[in-house]
Amino acid sequence: MSVTARSLGGAFATVVGAEAVRDDAASLAAAAVDGVPPRFVVSPPSVEQLAQVMALASAEGLAVVPRGSGSALEQGLPPARVDLVVDLRRLDAVVEHHPDDQTITVQAGLTAGALAARLAPHGQALPLDPPGFGTRTLGGVAATQASGPLRARYGTLRDLLLGVRFVQADGVLTWGGAKVVKSVTGYDVPKLMVGALGTLGVLAELTLRLHPLPEREATWLASFRSTSLAQECVAAVLDSTLQPNRLELLDDRALTACGLPVAAAGLAISVATVEPAVRAQEAELAAIVQRLRGRFETMGTSFWRVYDRALAAPGAVVLRIGTVPTELAVVLAEAREALTGVAVSGCAAVGALRARVGLADVDALASGIERLRAIVADVDGGVIVERAPRALREKVDPWGPVPAPALEVMRAIKREFDPAGVLNPGRFVGGL
Amino acid sequence: MAGTARIAAELERIVGADGVFTTHEARMTYEADMHTLYKGEPDVVVLPRSSLQVRDIVRLCRRERVPVVPRGSGTGLIGGATAPKGGVMVSLTRMTDILDIDLPNRCATVQPGLINLWLTNAVRDRGYFFAPDPSSQMVSSIGGNVSTNAGGPHCLKYGITTNHVLGLEFVIGTGEVVRVGGKAADRPGYDLPGAMVGAEGTFGLVTAITVRLLHTPAAVKTILATFATVVDASEVVSAIIAAGIVPAALEMLDEAMIGAINAAIGKVYPDGAGAVLLIELDGPGAEVEAQAERIAAICRERAALFVSVARDELERALLWKGRKEAAGAIGRIASAYLLQDAVVPRSKLPEIMREMVELGRRYNLMIANVFHAGDGNLHPMICYDDRNPDEFARAQEVNEALLRACIALGGSVTGEHGVGMDKAKNLPLQYADADLNFMYRLRRVFDPDGLMNPAKLLPSHPACGEGFRPARPVLPAGTWV
Repeated sequence: MSVTARSLGGAFATVVGAEAVRDDAASLAAAAVDGVPPRFVVSPPSVEQLAQVMALASAEGLAVVPRGSGSALEQGLPPARVDLVVDLRRLDAVVEHHPDDQTITVQAGLTAGALAARLAPHGQALPLDPPGFGTRTLGGVAATQASGPLRARYGTLRDLLLGVRFVQADGVLTWGGAKVVKSVTGYDVPKLMVGALGTLGVLAELTLRLHPLPEREATWLASFRSTSLAQECVAAVLDSTLQPNRLELLDDRALTACGLPVAAAGLAISVATVEPAVRAQEAELAAIVQRLRGRFETMGTSFWRVYDRALAAPGAVVLRIGTVPTELAVVLAEAREALTGVAVSGCAAVGALRARVGLADVDALASGIERLRAIVADVDGGVIVERAPRALREKVDPWGPVPAPALEVMRAIKREFDPAGVLNPGRFVGGL
Repeated sequence: MAGTARIAAELERIVGADGVFTTHEARMTYEADMHTLYKGEPDVVVLPRSSLQVRDIVRLCRRERVPVVPRGSGTGLIGGATAPKGGVMVSLTRMTDILDIDLPNRCATVQPGLINLWLTNAVRDRGYFFAPDPSSQMVSSIGGNVSTNAGGPHCLKYGITTNHVLGLEFVIGTGEVVRVGGKAADRPGYDLPGAMVGAEGTFGLVTAITVRLLHTPAAVKTILATFATVVDASEVVSAIIAAGIVPAALEMLDEAMIGAINAAIGKVYPDGAGAVLLIELDGPGAEVEAQAERIAAICRERAALFVSVARDELERALLWKGRKEAAGAIGRIASAYLLQDAVVPRSKLPEIMREMVELGRRYNLMIANVFHAGDGNLHPMICYDDRNPDEFARAQEVNEALLRACIALGGSVTGEHGVGMDKAKNLPLQYADADLNFMYRLRRVFDPDGLMNPAKLLPSHPACGEGFRPARPVLPAGTWV
């Protein structure tokens, strides 16, 4: 049976309350994804109501786009359909915090900044710092598998997520994983949900592994006359017993964007541990940098706020380049050739770089991305468009190629859990 | 199995005559893993040498509709590598090559049959190691570690197997070879390596693994502390974690275990202690020093009888030797035991240990403990005389009661051993129908014919059956649909 929008809106209002349903033109325009406005925006106040909203949407065959802070909406392929935007920001409660177990369960709409504020008095933190994390929701960070400098030591959200509650396409509330720090009971469902861009279910709650805040943290800048010297420094640090928690490579333009002295490349390195161990590692780092004729200087830990702001600043196309530590200098050089005015920085320890390039000619950007893809393909790496105007993501596949057998498995998973194709349809790899 | 001779002949064509066993005597060797209560003899055992041979085996079995059971070293503790429904057992012990070592990028690619410790042995002198360290690491295979998502003492700091797997080559149940993940960071698409690690052979067979290698830490310090009771020791564990220290390993042994180890390999732990904590710190020297002092202080403040720090590598090795020989030493005091692998939130350790002492008393059974206290992962060995059916029944009751107590405290059914046949029935303790149904459907994607290691990991439960639909949310009255 087909229904009119007005009566369907009434149905959503019955589930979540009239104030949590928007269908006025301004709200719909503000919630548009790639210029496609939804028919409704619904902000469920509880996980149970989120499940009811999804059940109703599924019964009506509505295409659902989950959203958090909206910072990553310029990602992926343009949507195939947008009927209902589910705004998760009202789901921002801490469900249970067990400081003595170093675990916490939070609703998906809580921001990483709010979580940090909540944890600081307990001397704990979630060591995860994707660009702009202060205002980003944890559900959004999980759905986009976003990461920042701290991945050098702590990995990404996949390594910190213990359990997940999500709503399947038909409204069934589902749980995977555990609330303890170690569990292998059944399949690792949380891993499947991280980075799935809401295409297998809408994330509702996350159980996270916390880490103790360090007694002391120090940050240094090592700057070099060439990118290959910077890469040598990365290699020396990786092949040592040093344990930096951040090892971030910045090219000259990234250095400038952070207001740092000009050099061909720099490494922003931080160590977080007890005071004597900070000093010992500082001496060891300084020796490595000196041997490579670099400049070594202390920065305040406030640098990381400056860096975060530079990375999250709007008005640029952002690419995620996946490579390996031994290819850093090559990628930096190629990126410069391929993309006019590009600034590149990222986690040198695992070869996860970000390139920021001004909004320019779409054709030139598209061919630059493809050129970069060809380079990193040698190490099975890739380039993902993390943020770009729709026109660019229509011109070039924002995800890049996925080998056919793996893509076929992904399609089969999607078919199983979203047979009607209503969860964020069209936006994920291969148009899933 | 209908057509065994014909299938065996086909398998011989794939791997050669020396790689197929069909005699009863040969197949008996493969009827169980380390959980010897579960037995199931395969109809044929086949030993491939390459990924393509594995693929052809899976395709053959799919065509013939016979079960495929992968097996590494057979050291699993959950009845995972046994063939309760017969079929073809694929032993990966001939696929032991290290395919690539890439130290500058801190990773290696290996075949699944490679023994865990051999990888560390291959890179140790260059300052690297493979972090997952199940107690079986001298004999267990990396493919098996991947299949069970194995842990070990040092996983407290470094994480379990899945945190160290970068990429996989997999022959899934449809007979396709799928390569997922790899050396480079940030692949587009679903995290298939994440979903496939720990699938216990129910998605298919892993044929190559790219793993992360870590640099050896600058310093290692091992501390031994003894306590009058396990409850005292448990409180210290909780205090260390609450103090924000994450040791590399934090292991506990109880009185029964201490006695067994001392009897087996000489006096490595002080007599008269009700519990021993073995605490290992690693990292930069100054960090290790500072943390060791704090931990020693916490131990002394909280009723430690004795605290000592290993003075050299020899002493350290001796302290660990006792821990690593625990499973063997228990044989001196009990003819058989059930091994539980449940997890509690680590702050609940004192509570669960009190409960365990009480259960042992009530059922009149010896329970020996040696476990990963730092992450709340229990390993009680519930001892019984296997000639006494009544004692065995009581041991089973204690085993189940303990598991339920762990779940009631907010824990998990299995911390690192896996589910296999042993714990499939227990999954409903941790998961609701909808959760089980999701897993069942995930399995079906990889194994549409239900032939890959059947009867493992998921229970026979309505939610794990064809056509089951979990209850959808009830909409409020008046919702217009």
